[in-house]
Amino acid sequence: MTATPAVTENTWERLQIVDRIELQYQVDQFLYHEAHLLDTRQYREWFQLVALDIHYWMPIRRTVTIRNIEREFTRLGDMAFFDDDYKDLRMRVEKFYSSSSWSEDPPSRTRHLVSNARITEWDGNELSVCSAFHMLRTRLDDTSEQFHGRREDRLRVNGQSFLLAQRHIYLDHTVIQATNLSSLF
Amino acid sequence: MNGGAQSNVNFDTSEIAAWYDADQGLIDKKIFVDPKIYALEQQRIFARAWHFMCHESHVPNTGDYFINHIGQDPVIVARDDHGQVQVMLNNCSHRGNVLCRAEMGNTHSFQCSYHGWNFTLDGKLKSVPGHEPFYRGKLNKDCWGLTHAAKVEQYKGFYFATLDADAPALRDYLGEVGRIGIDQMSVHGELVAVDGIQKNIIECNWKIAVDNLYDWYHVNVTHRSAMKIGFVNPSVMQPMQQTVLLGEYGHAISGPGISEEQQKVLDSLTDEERVSLDAMSPDERAKLAPRITERRPIRPANMKQEMGPVGVRAMGHPNIFPNLWISTRALQLSLRIPRGPLKTEVWWFTFMPKNYTDEQRRIAMKFMSHSFGPAGLFEQDDGENWTYSTKAALGPASQRQPHNLQMALGEDEVREDPSGQKSIDSAVNEHAQRWHYRCWSDWLKAENWKELIINKSVVPSGKV
Repeated sequence: MTATPAVTENTWERLQIVDRIELQYQVDQFLYHEAHLLDTRQYREWFQLVALDIHYWMPIRRTVTIRNIEREFTRLGDMAFFDDDYKDLRMRVEKFYSSSSWSEDPPSRTRHLVSNARITEWDGNELSVCSAFHMLRTRLDDTSEQFHGRREDRLRVNGQSFLLAQRHIYLDHTVIQATNLSSLF
Repeated sequence: MNGGAQSNVNFDTSEIAAWYDADQGLIDKKIFVDPKIYALEQQRIFARAWHFMCHESHVPNTGDYFINHIGQDPVIVARDDHGQVQVMLNNCSHRGNVLCRAEMGNTHSFQCSYHGWNFTLDGKLKSVPGHEPFYRGKLNKDCWGLTHAAKVEQYKGFYFATLDADAPALRDYLGEVGRIGIDQMSVHGELVAVDGIQKNIIECNWKIAVDNLYDWYHVNVTHRSAMKIGFVNPSVMQPMQQTVLLGEYGHAISGPGISEEQQKVLDSLTDEERVSLDAMSPDERAKLAPRITERRPIRPANMKQEMGPVGVRAMGHPNIFPNLWISTRALQLSLRIPRGPLKTEVWWFTFMPKNYTDEQRRIAMKFMSHSFGPAGLFEQDDGENWTYSTKAALGPASQRQPHNLQMALGEDEVREDPSGQKSIDSAVNEHAQRWHYRCWSDWLKAENWKELIINKSVVPSGKV
């Protein structure tokens, strides 16, 4: 991995530009790699990139007035579409292989497009990364859907790569315009 | 496609009667796709029935509001300045524009985004821009308030509304079976709504989404993956002991039940023993009380009084006709809101007992956030079944083939307890689905509430 400054302090702003570029490159490649694993249905391989203390969370978004904008998303501990720890997420992954997961058999065709990745924190061991995603999905012969929004990830250095320690997914949708959320984001 | 719900449609009673053949348990598939039948349902079911609006804890404070739907009619549910819960059509009385465009929040008043007409929390027209210079002071504001629901009533903190002034009182509408359904929730003690309603669209007819909640035949197939990955154990997937309660107007409870013998074992336990049984693993429990391992939570002793000796044994899924499902753990409610013949919006409300410890809350949330809703480990796999069961009716040849609801038809018996409560204790069956469509047919045949009250099906006795 790149430069190793003092731990637990956000040193991203102070990094040399060349170190920043290197780190940004590694983060981008990681995000593309996991998108590739999901889009090629290598879910168990994707799960290898998940840290034991993962929090995988998608709150519910609501249409609210600007006056009530602080209630736009549900909060931690309230209802959510996803609120998974490692064990929960492993169940979702294993569901793909269970041979009776009808929502994914025949399987969806997904395309995870990830961009606008911004590193906001770096303490020498963990990174905060905010990215935009656009996930397109087709199912069977007549269903084409799209999901888009923002992800707030925590990536932890793991050898030459990272582990995903947090994925908070903020959809741009309120009422989900789809039969299900059987895909991963 | 909204199905032209606004225009009046008329069918001969004999034609309506032919859509569901109660003797054979056969459904004419066109009831799932025909826009005219959908329009008739809007008039004779949705504009007439009582509908769940919200729980008192969804709108605790003055100015809290919440948007819901009564069929195709959007409504605002608001707590007014006097603490009353008001239900009003969400249409500006001026040009009909949607008045409140947020789905929830808190406000002092509702102002239309079109011309600025402003309404109080109880629906009175408060101010009109240009009242003097443009209307010449001639608009009588008293005549142009919002349209209110005909009646708003609550049962144990759950607010319902009806658009029909001739509807019976809520308590009578729910009847014993509907009340037992809600009691399954209130058994947990005082409830508070958990923030966040899961909402998603499924391209199916609302009735298929509703009748599926009674269906314990599909569970073991549709949801097999949830068992394989260890989310639920097999005994939960298809309990052999089923108890069905049928209620007037189409309410029912169907699913797992506690047999009379099992209930006798439970009756001998103190509440403390029941709580500790609930906390045990299925294996631990089996050693102590071999016949009560299938369903939980185990209800406290006083609930037998509240729900009756038969009601207390019903652990299945209640539906309050037409479209309110009280779910497995009895801490969630689901509305299946019609959005056109081929489109249903599914909502999941979640509640938490006030007296739960953090650990109880964590366990309950874990189960609920992983069961239902579009990402639920169960519900992920439901939607496409409903979509394609609906769409099958679009082909003329496919439409000629009826839906089959014949399971256990004529094979079971309604038994009446000395208390007067009736149940069907059996294996997996389709009694509640048949009851749902039989009552659905009653609603459509009746011109008005008076006719429905006179002609509605009587809860059956004897062979069913």
